[in-house]
Amino acid sequence: MIMGWIRLGVVGAIALTAVYFLVSIYSRSVRRETLEKRFDAGEVEGDRDAYIEAGMTMYEKGLRKRLLWLIYILPTLAFVATIYILNFQ
Amino acid sequence: MKYLKWTIWTLIASVIFGFFHYTLPQRDIVLIVGTENRRIDFGENSIFWAGPDSGTAAIGNRDVRFINAVRANGKVIVYRNEDTGWGWPPYFKLDSSNLQTEAQALTSNAETPKWVSVTHYGWRNEFMTIFPNAVAVRQVVGPDVTILPWLNIFILAVLAFLVFMIRRMWLQFRERTIDPALDDAAQTWDGVEDSATAARGRAAGVWGRFKVWLGTWKSRPRR
Repeated sequence: MIMGWIRLGVVGAIALTAVYFLVSIYSRSVRRETLEKRFDAGEVEGDRDAYIEAGMTMYEKGLRKRLLWLIYILPTLAFVATIYILNFQ
Repeated sequence: MKYLKWTIWTLIASVIFGFFHYTLPQRDIVLIVGTENRRIDFGENSIFWAGPDSGTAAIGNRDVRFINAVRANGKVIVYRNEDTGWGWPPYFKLDSSNLQTEAQALTSNAETPKWVSVTHYGWRNEFMTIFPNAVAVRQVVGPDVTILPWLNIFILAVLAFLVFMIRRMWLQFRERTIDPALDDAAQTWDGVEDSATAARGRAAGVWGRFKVWLGTWKSRPRR
């Protein structure tokens, strides 16, 4: 029989990866929509596509994108905290 | 149709409520009057039992630890004490033996009471012979202490946030991906009666869409 914690780790990693990809698609889409709306409101001069692509490049390097790693970090912390509090306190 | 709608929604709501009522931790203030082990052969109620101790194996039946207790109002309650291990529900309880020892150390009677807060999940049901699973025991000053369920408030808030985010993500996906595709389709295939039906369904919400879907099973006049 497969060891329980290995199975939990594998299933958890797959599930969190799926969530990570879905949320990163969502986050990117929201960013692009904000850029489009900002341009269409007439706040910026120049070419629309170039403005949006520049904004998306900024997003890919930015803090917001890196914060998505919390999708992996927070459940892991909750898991470790639950094990510690429930069994060793 | 109205009654059917409300029956379905009531069923869904009770299943969700029951799921959380079973799974989330609750606390009882009790006197622990005894602990025991007995062998259980799992039958129709097997879904309501957790697993053997983490790292050990069991074939068919096994010994289960029990904690017998009396509530402040004199009613009795029996807890099982099983590892949940790495499975569901996600308590990751691995210390059943230690918990049983703690419960034994807190054993008392009505004359010299030691009031104990027992954290548990699950239900006691005599028809199915199922027991709530004790998760933690802690001595408290008396039978009247009030303990706010902070953890449950936190868990439910997180779940509500997740549902909200899933809704936001779905709406974003529909606005940016599905609707443009539908617009294209409507332009190329204009005046088709099915799209009108679908649009009516969308305007009427989930229930309306369900009715439209039911309508697609009706027979149509032959051409």
